Amino acid sequence: MKKNNFFLPITGISVLFLLWYLIVTIFNVPEYIFPGPLAVLNSWIENKGVILSNAAITFEAALFGFLIANLASVIIALFVCFHRELENIIMPVAIVVKTMPVIALVPLLIIWLGSGLSSKIAAAALVCFFPALVNVLEGVKVLDKKMVWLFKVYAAGKFQLITKLIFPSILPYLFAALKTSSSLAVVGTLVGEFIGSNRGLGFIIISNYYNMNTSLVFAAIITSSAIGICFYYLIHFLEKKMTFGEERIIMERDRKAPTPYKYLERR
Amino acid sequence: MEEGEFVCIVGPFGCGKSTLLELISGLRSHYEGTIKIKGENPEEARLKRRIGYTFQRPTLLPWRNIIQNIMLPLEIAQIKDSQRAYDLLGMVELSHLAKKAPYELSGGMQQLISIVRSLVLDPDILLLDEPFSSIDEINRAKMHLHLLRIHQQTNKTTLLVTHSLSEAVFLSERIIVMTSNPGRVKKIIDVNLSIRNEEILFSEEFLNYIRIIREELKNEKK
Repeated sequence: MKKNNFFLPITGISVLFLLWYLIVTIFNVPEYIFPGPLAVLNSWIENKGVILSNAAITFEAALFGFLIANLASVIIALFVCFHRELENIIMPVAIVVKTMPVIALVPLLIIWLGSGLSSKIAAAALVCFFPALVNVLEGVKVLDKKMVWLFKVYAAGKFQLITKLIFPSILPYLFAALKTSSSLAVVGTLVGEFIGSNRGLGFIIISNYYNMNTSLVFAAIITSSAIGICFYYLIHFLEKKMTFGEERIIMERDRKAPTPYKYLERR
Repeated sequence: MEEGEFVCIVGPFGCGKSTLLELISGLRSHYEGTIKIKGENPEEARLKRRIGYTFQRPTLLPWRNIIQNIMLPLEIAQIKDSQRAYDLLGMVELSHLAKKAPYELSGGMQQLISIVRSLVLDPDILLLDEPFSSIDEINRAKMHLHLLRIHQQTNKTTLLVTHSLSEAVFLSERIIVMTSNPGRVKKIIDVNLSIRNEEILFSEEFLNYIRIIREELKNEKK
């Protein structure tokens, strides 16, 4: 079981890389159009310093944007929790913001916030905000009414209600929000960097694309996806540490349960 | 109701039994007439945390273990004395469950723990809203004995809502029969069982009480 957890993903990714290598070699594709994995690796090692320092910049913006978006959505969800009618005001606004393409909003962000870090943070936050909000709102909507009444019988204050009931109850939903937005944050930052920046992985990608330095573009893309993956697993790890009791037991029990495929095989 | 008394409310679905409890507990506040708990109106009593309430379903917080759940009212009231929670759990002889998680317990046990929790602040009145309605017959009988013992030991004024006639007769000293449409009190019956154990369930005395309540509820349908 434990072995499979590591073995299968690594096999999957290895096969992908092998296919990539074979296609490039068999069809003899020129490097400036589609570099093979070895060329990309070479380019990554050659430009290690540049890539890593710019990756740090991208990560910083993504992290801040991610935190701001999630914090904002938790605060909004708490407001909605106490004043249900607010949802009807907030959701339309959130949908309007969501349906405007970020790539179109970034020029505005740069005009307002400059071409530095803050406009990238804003872009990341904008991308993260909607999925985070939808998830966390779902969490406060399924709050158990009788549990709330239990707190009311004991005349609990709002703060106690939030810390002892609402927050622990929405934690599984909050983690769903964090997971979805963790990978989106990097995408949002890259979009910000494409349009107006002289730093970050987005800038590396766009500037090397103009120079037809495709290997380096690939190296930067893979690095950015690595950031997203690390981000996601960091949250996943935190979730395992922080969720408790029933949810975790159910999660673990389900993992052991026979999958439908196995069930079909047996028949 | 007198202090230390155990009273049951029985009645058909929709006659306002639960609503009455919610009014007494101060959870709802739209009513005409007067409700007084030791001379205070429900809202005041609730704000002073003088009310114990157990809901129809177990409302144990899944992320807390049993003893932490029992301590919840103490925490809300900002009382540091956690010994009371252990004492109460010891009183019902369930100390061995202290560190268990709620889902590890049967539904009946969870409800029993909920009742223990509602006693932890030593309330003036204990309100039980159909606490055992979703528990199988055999376990329910065990819970009844547990509840009787709790009542004998704490001598807490208890008001229990139920639609099980045998539950009402077995547990209470007085039964309030309610009717629906419009919801009102039909009759108040005093119950004087000689003993309360499993044998009595089949005695003439016990069945007689059930017959009386049945008649009351039957008459209403006409």
